[in-house]
Amino acid sequence: MTQVSIGSLSDFPEGTPTRVEADGTALCIVRVGDTVHAICDDCPHAEASLSEGDFLADDMAIECPLHGSAFNLTTGDPDCPPATEAVEVFTVTVDGDSVLVDV
Amino acid sequence: MTIALIAGSGMAGRAAALTLRRVGWTGEIVLVGDDPEYPYDRPPLSKSVVVGTADMSKVIKPAPEVYEQDGIDLRRGVTVTVADASAKTAELSDGSTVAWDALVLATGCAPRQLPIPGLELPGVHRVTRLDEALEIQSVLATGPKHLAIIGGGFIGMEVAAAAVAAGHTATVLEAAPKPMSRPLGPEVAERVLQWAMDRGVVVRAGVGVEQVSGDDIATGVRLVGGEEIDADLMIVAVGQTPRLELAQQLGCEEIVGGIKVDAGMRTSVADVYAVGDIAAFPSKWADEDRIRVEHAAVAIGHGQVAAEQIATGEGRYDDLPSFWSDQGDLTLNVVGVARPDDEIVWRGDHALPACTAFYLREGKMRAAFSVSDMKTLRGVRKLFAAGVSPTPEQLADPAVDLAALAAAG
Repeated sequence: MTQVSIGSLSDFPEGTPTRVEADGTALCIVRVGDTVHAICDDCPHAEASLSEGDFLADDMAIECPLHGSAFNLTTGDPDCPPATEAVEVFTVTVDGDSVLVDV
Repeated sequence: MTIALIAGSGMAGRAAALTLRRVGWTGEIVLVGDDPEYPYDRPPLSKSVVVGTADMSKVIKPAPEVYEQDGIDLRRGVTVTVADASAKTAELSDGSTVAWDALVLATGCAPRQLPIPGLELPGVHRVTRLDEALEIQSVLATGPKHLAIIGGGFIGMEVAAAAVAAGHTATVLEAAPKPMSRPLGPEVAERVLQWAMDRGVVVRAGVGVEQVSGDDIATGVRLVGGEEIDADLMIVAVGQTPRLELAQQLGCEEIVGGIKVDAGMRTSVADVYAVGDIAAFPSKWADEDRIRVEHAAVAIGHGQVAAEQIATGEGRYDDLPSFWSDQGDLTLNVVGVARPDDEIVWRGDHALPACTAFYLREGKMRAAFSVSDMKTLRGVRKLFAAGVSPTPEQLADPAVDLAALAAAG
């Protein structure tokens, strides 16, 4: 487990999923207020980049752009088929303005 | 020690085995499948695997060591040959006998056999198993090819679209006058077909294949009427039939071409479950008493429910049925249970890049078909969950927020 800096808070517009690479791992980053969430960017169901999907504020989830499963940002669990597996959720630390992820 | 025996290591059988451990089952798990490969996802075979763009670690999953970690006795290349419901025993093709307490039948489907001469020639491929898809991949990797695809269902159309997108050419030969009409209805199917043709797939509908041409290797097909179509490789994707032999041996009741189960995936025989393609299951989303669905998401859900039943005695399958088909750059999603004769209502115009059609029966929304329109699709799921069926006018109007209608009840 290493803590990797992925940028500053201002790099992540509110509610806009952003793809970053941290130590070789592709992450989907979403900022909600001063909280930053990080989940694995690869949809566990098929080949899709979750950061190309929509952030669903009501569900606190990212919707896969291809087949519509939405993954909870805190638990990683999908809300409906076709995905049946959770995505990996990564711990994010906001230190002042800088955003750090444990990968 | 109690033993759960799972016959079939496809998506339903795999899900049953993995779920058993997840829900706390402490008995033995024996997972038996005729495929020599570790269990894998089947949907990518006709899409990313044939053209070589798949990440195989996401196709063959979970990682092989998971079976050992979870204490799953996975026997690859093995089938259950004889099963006895009263003695609760099964004989396996590896010569062993398993005394089971619970038996999950996940035997899936076998490819339909066509009475066409020449199908046995080298150069004629199928895409039902991973090794077969990898064979196609290795042929396509040697340079641009022309594919003749016998069968214009989802699998055939997916292979054609993937191949064309990868720089090959493809001709799809379909006996029915309107390919994909049965799952999508003629109106939607016609659109999907047009999109495929716009992307360069050649579709010949309403044609019969008389024989595969060639002496030592297939060189093309001859249509009824004599026309020859040359091809570098042929792919047969003409559907499949449920494998019911084992269930029949056990005396399981059958209905609508499958094995009758209740919402807990229990067959008419005690401690025997049927899941996936072979299961004829009750669904509150369908008018029929039982339905059978040959799609991945349903198979996985069945496997999970059977496992919960075995471990805890609880669990019901009542998911809204859904499936998807990736055809090149287009992703089709269908939720609900559509019938070919349903009334179709399009939302706005029915043009790409994003559109949705609704299937109505007796004025009620029964299913939706969507291409790249996730917002509408999400609204549809919410409507189904809330039991709300908007008017055709509301469905047709892109300005109407479907999720808000669902929330309003």
